[in-house]
Order: sequence, then structure tokens, then C-alpha cells
Amino acid sequence: MRRRFPQFYAHVDKVFDEMPVWVVTVVKELKDYWNSKMYGRKASQLLKELVSGDSGQLTGFNNDLFKQVIEECDESVHHCQALLRKMQEEGTSNQTNKNPDHYGALVHHLSLVRNKRCLMAYVYNRAEVVQNLGWTFKAKLPDAIKMKLSSEEQKYFTNHYATLQSYMKDLDLDLAVDMLPPKDPYIKVRVLEEIGYVSLGDQVGNLTMHAILFLKRTVAEDYILQGKMEELTN
Amino acid sequence: MANYYDIDDILAGEELVPAVFLEAVNEVGLLSSNYTNRVEPRSKVELPLWLASELHERKAASITIPPCFNKKTREEIGADGAHVDLRSRCSYFYELGLKIVQLIGDKTIGSLLLVAFQTRYKEVLIKAHTSASALGPKFLSLLTKEETKLYDAATSSTAAFKTWRMGGSRMQQASVLGRKRKPIGE
Repeated sequence: MRRRFPQFYAHVDKVFDEMPVWVVTVVKELKDYWNSKMYGRKASQLLKELVSGDSGQLTGFNNDLFKQVIEECDESVHHCQALLRKMQEEGTSNQTNKNPDHYGALVHHLSLVRNKRCLMAYVYNRAEVVQNLGWTFKAKLPDAIKMKLSSEEQKYFTNHYATLQSYMKDLDLDLAVDMLPPKDPYIKVRVLEEIGYVSLGDQVGNLTMHAILFLKRTVAEDYILQGKMEELTN
Repeated sequence: MANYYDIDDILAGEELVPAVFLEAVNEVGLLSSNYTNRVEPRSKVELPLWLASELHERKAASITIPPCFNKKTREEIGADGAHVDLRSRCSYFYELGLKIVQLIGDKTIGSLLLVAFQTRYKEVLIKAHTSASALGPKFLSLLTKEETKLYDAATSSTAAFKTWRMGGSRMQQASVLGRKRKPIGE
């Protein structure tokens, strides 16, 4: 359509561009409202939000939408029970008789199951990312990531990290280093952030921004993963 | 049965398919267009696949073939499959097709999916392996979810091959942190 009537669509675009902000928000809200008018639609929006980012990235936990989906679940339960009660009062058996109430209850039951699956998938897939955080970061998460986690997820991270640590302690081996097979015990790195005085395995060093130095690979690996250093090659 | 937690499988179930109700259904406000909260038999609606398929199996509704498998699309795919805009028609084209075939015994959909995938797969790989990312956007907007994943996989493997050959840095910042930040002053 766009290709066939370029002038018309250019005009439409112009009108949209010149609209005041409040009109745009009202239009968007109306659109959201119509979009949400189907069972399970909100829950799928929740998941779409999750996959819209690049893979392995986190978006903020959408508490608001999450609550709305749970409210929708409550409504489904309410409708479903009301219909089942009605059927019991009328004395119709719910298996054999194909009456409208039976199918009504069915629709609500199905949307309840569907919403449950969406919510479970949302939490589960986020939990997987949170688990991986335990391999990348030491006990303290960067604030940018911490903000995106719900309080339960932060607790989950702490617990998962503790479990990981105790397992490594039992093995007496740090499993999180050398994720790539090493070629050389020392590598050349550039410091990208002010880090300050830290222990570098066998010595204490002052890591200032833009410093270029040779470090033990095992020490540098953590900083590279956290984006505080980059590996230099020649 | 796909994994319960598989997001793509769940979102594919969200695609709308046309259906006709065979039975009356009470108390379903969101499905009925009037204010009676009741859907009458023989009323036509568009239902998300997860609902439609269950109702279809219980003979409460009957699914008809979704518009993205209509004659026009078939002809376009037959003519030049690689350049059909499948995303705007249905971003879960293949997943939807697979599920629909199980519900309605339309034998032709299977071969349509195969032909479409074969021709498009070749094109996706060629584009991903050769072209610079500048060409990307226009072509990418034609691809379905599945094909976009293939494209990304192909480009990342090409990039990995290049860094291996040039001997670039192997250790990278964790992907959770997002794109690499350029330090100020560089």
C-alpha cells in the first residue's frame, strides 16, 4: 500500500509527526486497550517484551504487567467457578451434556492454563539468565543489572551464587576461569575504568584508566567479563 | 510437544486464526462482539491458536486456514520465495503451519512450508555470509522469527571465523552488560 500511494502516506506521516504529544499517547493507550481485549493477550505481551531485547540480555522485571496478568487469572477462576456452580445447580452433568455453560467454563479454564504457562515461562527464562550471572560476576552485581531484577530474583542470585561457591570450594577449583582454553598464562590488557588498588594474585597493583599492562590471565578474565578491561592483541 | 517454557512456541500460539463456533458459549465477554456475553453457534471469530486448537479438538469450534497460507501467498512463494514479506503476514509462519497441519488435514501446507524454507534458507545464508551489515535492515524485515535466528547465527559464525583468522581478542565482555561502552575521550 505504502509503495502504491507514496504521497498519501507521506501526508499521513506528516500529520502524525505534527500531532501533539497527548494525542499520540491517547492513541497508543487506545491501541493497547484493544490489543489487550483477548484472553491471554497481556501475558503474551510480557513474553514479547522479554524476547525483544538481544539474546542473553535482561529487561526490567515488569511488575505492573505481571500483576495485571495475575488479575486476569483471578477473573478466569471466578468466571469458571461461577459457571460450574450454575451447572451443578441446574443438575446437568458437565461431561456428557454439551451446553453453553460447559464451553464457557472450558474457555476460562483454557485461558487460565495459558496464562499460567506464560507467567511460568517468563519467570523461568529470566531465572536462567540470572543463573548465568553467577558465573560472570562475583557476589556484587553491577547496579545497572541489579535494577532490572525483582527482589526475588536478587535473592535467587545470591543463593545460587552461594551454592556455586560452596561447590567450587568442595572441589577446591575455580570453575569460572579459563572458559576459553588459554594460550599463554599472561595477557596484555587495557584498563577501561578506574579500578584502584586491587590484589592481582601475587602482587597489589594500581589500575588506572587507560593503563596497559601484562596481567595473569586468570586475574584479568574477571575484569574483562565485567567490561572493565579489554584484551589487546598484536 | 515442545518445551513448556519455550517462549517461541508460546508466542506462535498467539497468532490469530479464523474459526467458526459450532456450539454456543456462555459468559465469554471478550469473544463476543455484542453485550450479551454469549457467543452463538456459527459466529465467525479470530481466535489465538492456543484457544482455537483446544476448541477445535473438542468440536466446539472449527478452524479454517489462516490467511497467510492463502492462494496469493502460495503463488508469491512459488514465484520468488526469497523475497516474500512473510513477517508482516505471520512472524511464526513455519511454527503456525506445523501446528495447523495437525489440526486440519491439508496436505498441501507441508510442501508449501518446505519449498518456502528451502528457497529462503539459501538466500538467508548467502546474505548473512557475504553482505556487510549495511544491507541488513531491508532484507531482515522480510524474515520470520525462525529465519532471523538463522541469520543471526550465520552472521555471528562469520564474525567468529574472521576474528579467528585475524587473531583478534578472544575474551569478551559478558553479553548481559549490553553493547560495549566506548570510554570517554577516545
